[in-house]
Amino acid sequence: MMFETLDPLLHSELRLAIISILISVEEADFNYFKEKTNATSGNLSVQIDKLNEAGYIQVEKGFAGKRTRTVCKITPKGVSAFERYVEALKGYLNLSGSKD
Amino acid sequence: MEEKNLNEKESLELISRMIRNTQQKLEKGNGAPFLIWGYTTICVSLIVWYLFSATGDPRWNYLWFLILIIGAPVTFLWNRKQVKGVKTYIDKVIGYIWLAFGISGVIVSSVAIFFYWPLPILFIIVLLMGTGVVITGLVIRFKPIVFAGLGGILLSTLCLFVKGVDSILIFAAIFLVTMVIPGHILYYKGRKQ
Repeated sequence: MMFETLDPLLHSELRLAIISILISVEEADFNYFKEKTNATSGNLSVQIDKLNEAGYIQVEKGFAGKRTRTVCKITPKGVSAFERYVEALKGYLNLSGSKD
Repeated sequence: MEEKNLNEKESLELISRMIRNTQQKLEKGNGAPFLIWGYTTICVSLIVWYLFSATGDPRWNYLWFLILIIGAPVTFLWNRKQVKGVKTYIDKVIGYIWLAFGISGVIVSSVAIFFYWPLPILFIIVLLMGTGVVITGLVIRFKPIVFAGLGGILLSTLCLFVKGVDSILIFAAIFLVTMVIPGHILYYKGRKQ
């Protein structure tokens, strides 16, 4: 039985958390991710950049008053990657379940 | 949270936890648009009623557009001030619902006022807004809003039975029930949470 490999871009705690949040909302900003993941700004910024470079999310930088505001949205490519990731996860979990 | 690899079970738990965390709670801000449009409509109605009763001049009907002139920019400025970290699908859907109802309301009012069509305009507006309130209540799953909207729909028929300038007072009273009271309830509930 063949299993799809888990997407390495999503198989990381913080990046998976970011994508999981974005899959269930329209858009979220940097501070929201910080609040929900308790990650440091530096790390969060790096992981957002990686997801953006892969085309999984779309990042818009703007202003809220005088402060900068980074808003992220998931792209159709990101949605497909997430769906494939969940399908692959199900495959692995079924396998480990059948072993028990 | 760090950049660490997870096993399959941890991945699934993380996905569930994050999705659960984004579930929308009522926020005090949800009540503000109801209060902005509700109070603006009531104030403009009372002004039109007073001037129309005192002079009998139908040109005072143009003042109805003050609702749009005041309500739209105040809502826009209020939205800009609200820096919410997240925008959910519910926020987006509610925005579209009110955009659609708002456009319908403006078209119907404009046709009635500019083309002198004898439409039962107050009845139509209350019916439209009551329907918008019911849908909003159902989407955010908040019963007081649903009941307020239903009340508005039922009470809208009063605008058909009460004739003349006093129907404007009925119109204002219905807006109090349909928008202002639920707006305060929503604001209060949101603040408590």
